[in-house]
Parts: sequence; structure tokens; C-alpha cells
Amino acid sequence: MIRYIVRRLLEAIPVVILTSVLIYGILLIAPGGPTARFAQNPRITGEQIAAFKHRWGLDQPIPIQYCRWAGICNPDGEGLGIFISNKGLPNILPEALGGGDNGMLHGDFGFSIVDGRPVTSVISERVVPTLILAGTAWLLWVVIAFLTGVYAAVRRYGLFDSALTVFNYVGFSLPTFWLGIMLIAVFASQLRIFPASGMWDTRTVPAFGTDRYWTLLGEDPGYVLTDLLRHLVLPVITLIVVSIAGDSRFVRSSMLDALNQDYVRTARAKGVPEWRVVTKHALRNALLPVVTNLGLEIPFLFTGAIATETIFSWPGMGRAFIQATNNYDYPVLMGILVITAIIVISANLLADILYAVVDPRISYG
Amino acid sequence: MAERTVAVTADLTPAELEQLLLERPDYEVQLESLNQWQLAWRRFRRHRLALAGAALFLALVAIAIIGPFFVHYDYYEIPHPDELVYAGRPPSWISGDWDPPLLMGETARLQRDILGLVVNGARLSLVIGVGATIISVVIGAVWGGVAGYFGGWLDSVMMRIVDSLLTLPILFLILVAGKFLGRGDWPSVMLIFGLFGWLGLSRLVRSLFLSLREEDFVDAARAVGVSDGRIILRHILPNTLSPIIVAATLSVAGVIIGEAFVSFLGFGVDITQPTWGNVLTSSLDFLQQGNWWWAFFPGFAIVLTVLGINFMGDGLRDALDPRARI
Repeated sequence: MIRYIVRRLLEAIPVVILTSVLIYGILLIAPGGPTARFAQNPRITGEQIAAFKHRWGLDQPIPIQYCRWAGICNPDGEGLGIFISNKGLPNILPEALGGGDNGMLHGDFGFSIVDGRPVTSVISERVVPTLILAGTAWLLWVVIAFLTGVYAAVRRYGLFDSALTVFNYVGFSLPTFWLGIMLIAVFASQLRIFPASGMWDTRTVPAFGTDRYWTLLGEDPGYVLTDLLRHLVLPVITLIVVSIAGDSRFVRSSMLDALNQDYVRTARAKGVPEWRVVTKHALRNALLPVVTNLGLEIPFLFTGAIATETIFSWPGMGRAFIQATNNYDYPVLMGILVITAIIVISANLLADILYAVVDPRISYG
Repeated sequence: MAERTVAVTADLTPAELEQLLLERPDYEVQLESLNQWQLAWRRFRRHRLALAGAALFLALVAIAIIGPFFVHYDYYEIPHPDELVYAGRPPSWISGDWDPPLLMGETARLQRDILGLVVNGARLSLVIGVGATIISVVIGAVWGGVAGYFGGWLDSVMMRIVDSLLTLPILFLILVAGKFLGRGDWPSVMLIFGLFGWLGLSRLVRSLFLSLREEDFVDAARAVGVSDGRIILRHILPNTLSPIIVAATLSVAGVIIGEAFVSFLGFGVDITQPTWGNVLTSSLDFLQQGNWWWAFFPGFAIVLTVLGINFMGDGLRDALDPRARI
């Protein structure tokens, strides 16, 4: 088992490298590159652009640029020295072992071109809101998809099953972003039940993540949490409807498969009560494919977050990604993409491992 | 007793055939010979939802082709300083004002006729959806076909690449590519979706090739000296068409939704050429003024199209590939 996990981890490394090269490639073949945003500005001269390029190392060959960004090359060295850190050891090592102290491998994603802040702090303040949104959505999504799917399978062709089928078709055809807009139109603009945007009420609650926010949370947790919940409702619904539509159908068919197995018939023939047949015999086997699916669907939460966070002005990673793309903020963009890729790849890995744990028939070979 | 003949075809299941023979023993049964596609059409025809979906989709295609000659989306008049008009007039059937007739109302700010935008936007949305799918089917079929046919280390390398690309958050890459490489015209958006969309298809094609290459007819072709390229294209590929068609149909729906989102964010087709996505771009800002029709109708067009395509895809799956039921 441990060998299997280690092997999968080792296999994930080239994937992360491939991802970063791919993203770097897309950004670099873009016409103009990071200096494109200066092109329309008449106050910026050619020399200034050249100086800018030199300062950010953009005048170097692309492999060197990538190597420096990744933290394999020493930004100040020349010749073979570019691979050697200032302490005389390979730059790829962590700083404590005599390696370099900058570059992605050393946890340094550089600085935002737009406001000069470290990319790590730009991203870290966005991670928590995204996790709150995506985590709530994931939990609800799993529970609802599971319950509806199982119930529809047990009462096959019943009223609920038919209603669920209709919902599956329609929900699966909804564009996430449009569903969000429609929810705002109905519940925020017309009925005014839920707020249309943001994560907190700007009039009564200080910005999320600031000290004053935590103080208020300590003083009046009821108010702050209710406020957060109210802001969560519409984005969470937007995020999960499409996924539930796909997944409850999946759970249903998986459960139907299990209910048609011989061992279920055997259990029924032995006189096991129906609820026990369902919960004990069928459900556990139906769970197998469902569990794997759960991990595999985590990436959708992140891609879905782009739509949801943009529509609802939720201060998370998805919105930061859109802002960075609009601002040509290359370092932030690279940082977000690499971190998202790592999260997604880990989720896949977790799904595989979980599958191997749940299903004893899978060999770890 | 006069001999009568009835043509019993694939329309009947074995059970129905038996029933018919029991009821009318005087009937002589003649089997009609049908090729694979005729059989598929018969199965598809029975699927009522699929027929409705196909009809809906074809109607939208027809509207996309002919509609723009009749309906325009330009301004009805120079924007009026009056606040109410600036916010866009509601659909005529709500306001009761049929001069000019506005079936879907107007956009705020520029006061464009939304019906015109939806009809004109249908063109690019459908062209991008179908075009990008064709690109990804070609790439996916070639990639998966080569990997599945030759197998061995080539297969491992090619599929490893696909597996790793599949673990990526593709939408992020599409957005970055749209912003940095796209030029805001429809061919570049179509190309980007085509280039990022073939991964799943290549896996499907590979798995089909893996099993088909062991078949006797492939051995036979090889024995008489047919080249690898010809075996792939003429002998194996035609046998994989059914699942590919089903997957491609569903992929069109996916691209239409994806394109709408990317263009909505301003990273796809720019707003000089309407698509169902970019038409929605500023609609969010005017919901508060009560202009819901702007946000509603273009999105509703997407839902109808995607629903139609999904129904059609389900029917096609049952018709072409009866074994692969979910």
C-alpha cells in the first residue's frame, strides 16, 4: 500500500512540471509578453521597457527564465554558476541545506507586477474564502446527490425518481454562470431575500481576514456567522446544482446495479428486512464508484469557483485568477495556476488511494 | 387461404414478433434487410425525447442560418436621456407597447433588441460548438487511434500525456489561452476549445482500438499486406464511429456552455460579434434596475440548445450503441 502511494506521488511530479511548463509556454508565446500592457502608454519609453525587462529577467532566454522562476537556477549567476547557490551547493536544495532562497521550489512565487506584494500573500488571503465556499458546496453536494440518488434507486420509477430525472436533464444543461445570474435576478434583485454579492455586509461587518473581523466574530459570533451564511446561500446553490444533477444520476445507476446483484437477491430470499438489504448489502457496494467520483469531482469545484466567484464578487482564488489575467499579472497568475494544479492532482491521487482502500479487489501493483 | 405477406423489420422486438405470429398465424413473415444506419435510425425514431431534442436543435440551426437576414439587433433609436428608456424597454408582451415590437425586450445602455442579439448570436455559438468539436474529434481520433493500434511503449507514453493533461484544471488554461493567445474573433476561440477538448475522446478511441485490433478482420487485412495507416483509417475507424458520434454530440453541448462562459468573462469572442455568452456580459450590472430580460433570454437560448443536444445524444447512444447504456 505504501509503495503504491509513493509510486503515485512520484508519478505526480512530472505532471506538475508539465503543467508549469505548459502554463509558462502559453504566457510566453503571448504577443508582447508581460510588457504588453505598456504598449498603449505613450509616457513609457523603449528604454524604460528594456529596463523593466532587465529587472525582471525577461531579457534572458526562455529556458533560463523558466529555470529561475522554478527555483532551479540562481538568479544572479552566470555560466555553470547559475545552478549553484550563493553557498556553493546546488540551487535546487532547500535554503537550510545550502540551496537557493527564491523560486517556486523554495516556496517563493515572486511578486505581483500590479501592486508589488508577494504572490504568496496575495494568494493566501484568497484561499480561505474559496475553501469556505468550495467546502460548504462539496459537503452539501455529496450529501444531497447521495440521498436523492439512493432514494430514487430504491423507489425506482416512482414520482420522486421521475422528478429527479427531469431535474437531472435540466440541471445538467444549465450554464453555471447563468444560473448564478438568474438566482441574483430572482432572490436578490426582485425578492431581496439574499445579498447579491460579496462575502460580508460591508456596512456592518469589517473586511474578512482583518483583525477587526476576528474581533467582531469573537464579540458577536451569531451575527457574523449568520451574515456569512446569508452570503453563502446563492453562490453555493449555483456551484452545486449542475454537479448534483450529474452525480445523483450516477449514484442512482450505481445503486440500481447493486440492487440487481445476486447477493441482494440471496439476502432477500433469506428474509432479511428490506431496509437492511438496502443499507447493508446494496449501499456499501454502491458506494464504491461513488467514492472515487467524489475525489475526481474536486477539480470542478475550482473551475466552478471561477464562475461563481466572478458573478457573486466572492473574494476567492477564482476571482483573483480573473483579475490577474485581466491585469496581465504574470507572477500571480502562475502562482494560482500551479497551486490549483497541485490541489487538483492531489485530489485525483487521493481519489485513487481511497478507491484502493475501499475496494479490496483493486491491486496496488 | 390467400397468402399474405407482412414485412417485419427491426422495428419489432423478438417478443413483439412472437406476439404478432401468435395472433396472425396466416401471416408470412419476411425479414427486411437493413444496414447498420437504417437500424440505428429506426431505434432513434422510437426515442421520443431524442426526436424532440433533434427537432429543437435543427430548428435552432435553421434560425441561426436564416434568422440574421430578417432580425437585426442595432439600436432602434439614439439612446434616450430618459432613465427608463436607458435601462432598456421590457418585452412588448409585458409592457403592452408594440411599437417597435420587442419580443425579448431591449438591453440597457445601448438599447439593442435582444431577440436580434439572440438570433445573431446563435450563429457563432453553434459554429464554435460544432467546429471545436470537429477539431477535437480529429485530434482525439488520430491520437487515440495511433496509441491503441500500435500499443506498447508508444501507447504508454501517449496515454500518460493524456492522463496528466486530464488532471489539469482545463478551464483555467482555456481562459489564459483565450486572454493571451485569442484575438477576440471566433476562429481563435474555436481553435482553443478544439485544442483543449480532445483528451476524453482520445481515451475513448484508444479503448475501442485496443479491442478492435485483436479482431480477425484486422489480422486478415494485415495478412494481405494492407498498410498500418490504411488499416487504422479504413478498417478500424469505421467500426468506432458510433461511440465517437455520441461523444461528439455531447461535446458540442459542453463547448457551447464553455464558450458562453469564456466570452461572458470577456476572454472569448469580443462584443462586436454577438454570441450567447458575450451578449450577457454587462447584463449583471442592470439586474438591480429590473432589467431581467437581458440576462434571461440569451441564457435561456443556451439552455434550450444544450437540452436539445443532450436529449439527442441520449437517443443516439441508445440507437447507435445499444450496449453502452447508463
